[in-house]
Amino acid sequence: MPKVTINDTELEVEKGTTILKAAAQAGYEVPHFCYHPALSIPANCRMCLVEVEGAPNLEPACYSEVTDGMVVRTKSERVVKAQKAVLEFILLNHPVDCPICDQAGECKLQDYYMAYDAQESRLRTEKNQKVKVFPIGPEVLYDGERCILCTRCIRFCEEITGTNELTLIQRGDSAEIRTFPGKELDNPYSVCTADICPVGALTSRDFRFKCRVWLLTSTDSVCTGCSNGCNIHLEHFRNEIQRYRPRYNPEVNDYWMCDEGRLTYKEVHDDRLRRPMSNGAALNWHGVTETTRDKLNRALKDGGASHFGFVISPQASCEDLYLAKRFAGDVLEVDNLYLGGKPDGWEDDFLVKADKNPNRQGVNAVFDGLDQFGDIESLIEDMESGAIKNLYMMEKHLPVDDETRGRFLDAIDELDLFVLQGQHHAELSQKAHLALPACSHAETEGTFVNFDGIAQPFEQAFAPHGDSLPHWQIFMKLARAMGSPLSYTFVHQIQDEMFQASQDDGEAAQTPAE
Amino acid sequence: MGNVNVKQVDRVKQGLWEKSYIPEILRGLSVTAGHFFRNLSPNKSKRTIFTRDYPEEPTDYPDRYRGLHRLMLREDGQVRCVACMCCSTICPADCIHIEAGEHDDPGIEKYPDVFVIDELRCIVCGLCVEACPCDAIRMDSGVHIPPYTERSDAFYGRDLLMELGGLSQAKQGGDRSPS
Repeated sequence: MPKVTINDTELEVEKGTTILKAAAQAGYEVPHFCYHPALSIPANCRMCLVEVEGAPNLEPACYSEVTDGMVVRTKSERVVKAQKAVLEFILLNHPVDCPICDQAGECKLQDYYMAYDAQESRLRTEKNQKVKVFPIGPEVLYDGERCILCTRCIRFCEEITGTNELTLIQRGDSAEIRTFPGKELDNPYSVCTADICPVGALTSRDFRFKCRVWLLTSTDSVCTGCSNGCNIHLEHFRNEIQRYRPRYNPEVNDYWMCDEGRLTYKEVHDDRLRRPMSNGAALNWHGVTETTRDKLNRALKDGGASHFGFVISPQASCEDLYLAKRFAGDVLEVDNLYLGGKPDGWEDDFLVKADKNPNRQGVNAVFDGLDQFGDIESLIEDMESGAIKNLYMMEKHLPVDDETRGRFLDAIDELDLFVLQGQHHAELSQKAHLALPACSHAETEGTFVNFDGIAQPFEQAFAPHGDSLPHWQIFMKLARAMGSPLSYTFVHQIQDEMFQASQDDGEAAQTPAE
Repeated sequence: MGNVNVKQVDRVKQGLWEKSYIPEILRGLSVTAGHFFRNLSPNKSKRTIFTRDYPEEPTDYPDRYRGLHRLMLREDGQVRCVACMCCSTICPADCIHIEAGEHDDPGIEKYPDVFVIDELRCIVCGLCVEACPCDAIRMDSGVHIPPYTERSDAFYGRDLLMELGGLSQAKQGGDRSPS
């Protein structure tokens, strides 16, 4: 274990640790642009130069490994002078168009300029002009003037996705990032290049000009695009999600997430069911709870539990599913359970999973296996033949193709009672005898279990849209109205009981890693 | 209480002239009438009163009076604003609403598609002017915020704000020489 002294702090680090990491352990920040912990180290930005006693030149801290007895200074006069010179060099042809740059506010160049440079430009000639608003890919735009040529994006495409779209063309002050001829930056993870870009050279088209980053509030959440459950910063402004940004979790998604998942935030705001509805007319919760109670009671009395179907959604959180289980099993006493959710999609060997539902493993854990769920095909057949006369459905999704879904929609008209409890209108809310608005993962807290069995909590970002409520609260409302002894007031009561139950089964709930 | 100094004032003795009443009344009226007629003078500089015939005769505001906002223009008449949202961020009354749009000219790139100021909500603090990096918003129109009968009349849109605008002396980026 080499001993190293950094700015008079003596510490012992693992062999092979770079000076930059050792300095971070000692509590000193070494500024850097090109270094990214998940990528290879080119040491080309020269921002992380530090003084090593005995060495003739300043050394790049990101690349140089510590040796025993090394004495490093990160704030000496020579280093400060070098940092200032490097920043002046990088900023020489920088357009300083921060007012129109989406990166402003989370820009390393801005931060470092304020912290390490803070001098006026000494350039007396015209700035070099390069390409602006260059469509480098379908999701990403490139601005050559802002680019500091750190090559993080190139290394991302080489080392993480392996797609090799990007390269550096020209030399000196004409150098720019470009795609190879005939290629464009269209890999499924292309927006990650905009994330890792330390300046505003690569920006996301979806987020372009949408909101300034300093207005965003960030909430730790989980992407609902597929069963991988990538950890995200859910960034919102005025009760609207503006973007998803990957949150570091080495066990799940590292620093990355896919472009498709990034855009799933749109589902949270599109086509939302905002008011409880009865036969297409908006009601309040008080009225709709009583109506639902009466209708459910009548349906159970007339048809019995055998004619009652209940569709569970793997889009809902574990807490919601637990209450769905209690509501269907203990209150309605229904056995005909079906599993909804989105149909399978494409997958790759990195992050994207074929199962597009964030919580199928949660269903598995809450309901002790997936065997008890009936086939959706047979549900539709039963609905058509009249064996199922009443249906309670969570969320709009069914894991079937469009044709079968059309059959399902037609079969709804045959039902005596169709209750929809979900986020979206879809085609269903107008057909539903009762439509109960549920809120999305952004508006409540809960837990998703990803494909690997890792339970990951997500937090509430903003207040529910309209009159919508979390699924579990809707179940509680109905259960209370139907005279059931269920008594959950807070989500942690459900969590305590649920995790207790799963631990009793010998299936310890894993704590999510940050 | 003993420390209070009481000053005795002798009453002015009235003579026969004052006691006869009428002449002093007339003297007082002549002062009033003198003011009255002097202030009817067509030569305003000779008047001695400080009231104005508002609104026909508007107030002269000081040079740095903060009045209605205006949006400054580029030389070709386009709006200078680049929708950086600095003004709406700093605004303590939250009265500026901007939606950015993509400009056809890559040198300009970003411009305000929607720019609305709620003048009723504005507290006339001038922070938006100080925050603006482009000298695009100013409050030096010299017009104070008028009263409105409709609340929606107080929402000043981009084009209305540009009508009050003019050219700025400040140099703005985005000029791209053909390279």
